[in-house]
Amino acid sequence: MFRTSEKNTGIFFILATAFFLVGGLLTTLLPAVIEKSWSTPTEGQQPYTEQQLRGKAIYQREGCWYCHTQQVRTLLPDTKRFGWRGVDAPISTPEEYVRDNPHMLGTRRIGPDLARVGGKYDTSWHRTHFKNPRDLVKGSMMAPFPWLFQNDEQEFKDLVSYVQTLGRNVNWRPKDDYER
Amino acid sequence: MTVDVKRTWREEPSAALFILSASFFFIVTTLVGLTNATKFVLPEFMGNIPWLEWGRLRPLHTNGVLFGWLLAVDMGLIFFVVPRLCGNKLWSEKLGILTVVLFDLVILGAVFAFPLGGNAGMEYAELPQYLAAVVVVVWVLFGLNVFATVLTRKHEKIYVSLWYIMGGVIWTAFVYITGNFVAHFASGINQANLNWFYVHNAVGLIFTPLGIGLAYYFIPKQSQSPLFSHKLSMVGFWSIAFIYVWTGAHHMINGPISQWLQTVSILFSVMLIIPVWTVIVNFFATVSGKWDRVRQDPVLKFLMAGTTFYTLTCFQGPMHSLRTVSAIVSKTDWIVGHAHMAVLGAFSFFAIAGVLHGLPRIVHKPLYSVRLANTSFWLLFTGGLVFFAGLWIGGFMQGLQWNDWTIPWIDTVKFMRPFWMTRLFAGMVVYAGIFLFFYNVVRTFSAPVPAPEQQARPEVRPVGA
Repeated sequence: MFRTSEKNTGIFFILATAFFLVGGLLTTLLPAVIEKSWSTPTEGQQPYTEQQLRGKAIYQREGCWYCHTQQVRTLLPDTKRFGWRGVDAPISTPEEYVRDNPHMLGTRRIGPDLARVGGKYDTSWHRTHFKNPRDLVKGSMMAPFPWLFQNDEQEFKDLVSYVQTLGRNVNWRPKDDYER
Repeated sequence: MTVDVKRTWREEPSAALFILSASFFFIVTTLVGLTNATKFVLPEFMGNIPWLEWGRLRPLHTNGVLFGWLLAVDMGLIFFVVPRLCGNKLWSEKLGILTVVLFDLVILGAVFAFPLGGNAGMEYAELPQYLAAVVVVVWVLFGLNVFATVLTRKHEKIYVSLWYIMGGVIWTAFVYITGNFVAHFASGINQANLNWFYVHNAVGLIFTPLGIGLAYYFIPKQSQSPLFSHKLSMVGFWSIAFIYVWTGAHHMINGPISQWLQTVSILFSVMLIIPVWTVIVNFFATVSGKWDRVRQDPVLKFLMAGTTFYTLTCFQGPMHSLRTVSAIVSKTDWIVGHAHMAVLGAFSFFAIAGVLHGLPRIVHKPLYSVRLANTSFWLLFTGGLVFFAGLWIGGFMQGLQWNDWTIPWIDTVKFMRPFWMTRLFAGMVVYAGIFLFFYNVVRTFSAPVPAPEQQARPEVRPVGA
């Protein structure tokens, strides 16, 4: 069969396509069918509001997801490092991402993970931080985003409304201890 | 090579134009990379200009280098290689020119779209969909031309380069459409899984087969020795065809994705060592006994250094997929070093070698300067090594620091500063090499047709000359 494919482009085409489809379908379509958690939202998960969606679009536009992941992995250091005030961050589960399109899981941590950042800092902290991150975190290499504050801070407000939702699918802080 | 004053690039315009425009986008999109490397060290550098923000330039750098340079130059070199292996001419030069023009319009569109904030939101599939749709059209036209040329070939047997190229044409179509269109119909983890299926196969089933296929042509050709083993190349091709596609989920090792899928991706990632080693053994064994040529010839230098970087990058890959190794290196700068070694060190080196070998034959004039090409090699090679190694060392140590949660996050960022400085300076050296390559390409193309007495000038100067 492989010998024939050396001379016959038809056989070659069929083999190359078949090999691709076997691996492709078994690793993408099969899990989509059998892994219910990938398409079932967590209980009580609210759809994004219009303002939060606008904020998510800004997050997408400015490429925040290139420097910040949104996944607490199954690693102890992740749960410890991205916890808050002595409480470990719960490990991220597939159910939490169902409403995200496009997903913002990210591959790179130039800055810290944001999977559980919602409610950690209040709006005034974010205002100062987005204007110039180094005013709050000395040594930070995050870009400043002064243009979000034009037009009565509209884009800034949208972005923060999205950021405050992150990780809030799970109520993980004692006594609902979240900043607004 | 022989120089024929009566022949010009107009006999193979599609290959010539692809190579020229790709080389131009090479210097543009790597300059964007250099700008971003500067922002790592000086975060407020041009910081008040929204369209020069780091996160908007990043997709321009990655997509620009991957598609505007690497894919485009590979397409140009394929237009050069395929007719030579088939013993005929490219099926349609007119179609070829249309392919170049459409593709260059897409890349130009991307140069404006990304800074203006047009970002589809998934890695390597950031191109706005109206542009991605044109890429699909371009690919169909390109594939039509390649397959029509192969089907009308004069030689019955299909050489291994053609398998890789044809395989790459088929897989690219599937992979690109999955990543840029199908993935948008999913959400959450399903979408992430499709996204990384695309990301990894963009490297493994687009750039690998195209780059390896071209190297399978240029290495025997330039070293003037027959391929070491035909059988080995066959084992390599069919094993990569089967194995690569299973590995996408290794981008989410330890992440919120099913353990069984992680394990599958790890198993297949480790198995990738089989096709990789067939390629490496074949390449090195082919030039074995001809290493004196490598010392003088910039084309062979790029090819063999590319093979070495390919070896290293393909050893790292399977290792990264192991859960324990991933827990240290994943999400760090180590991966950035790894990715640059694959795209710059391996596949761009193959492509540069292809241009230095092919362009003189397309324009029927000698290379403008062999010396310049050698300088270009040493800049790219040393700059590249420092670039990759700096990020590995820094990234690995940062990964270890992340695993000690008593170290505040910001301290691990400050720790990276010297490594980011090193990357910036090494990047400048790399850029100088790229620019000299571009200059060499342009001068070779635009040089006047040589007078008859100069035509005898050999491409490679003998030792001691």
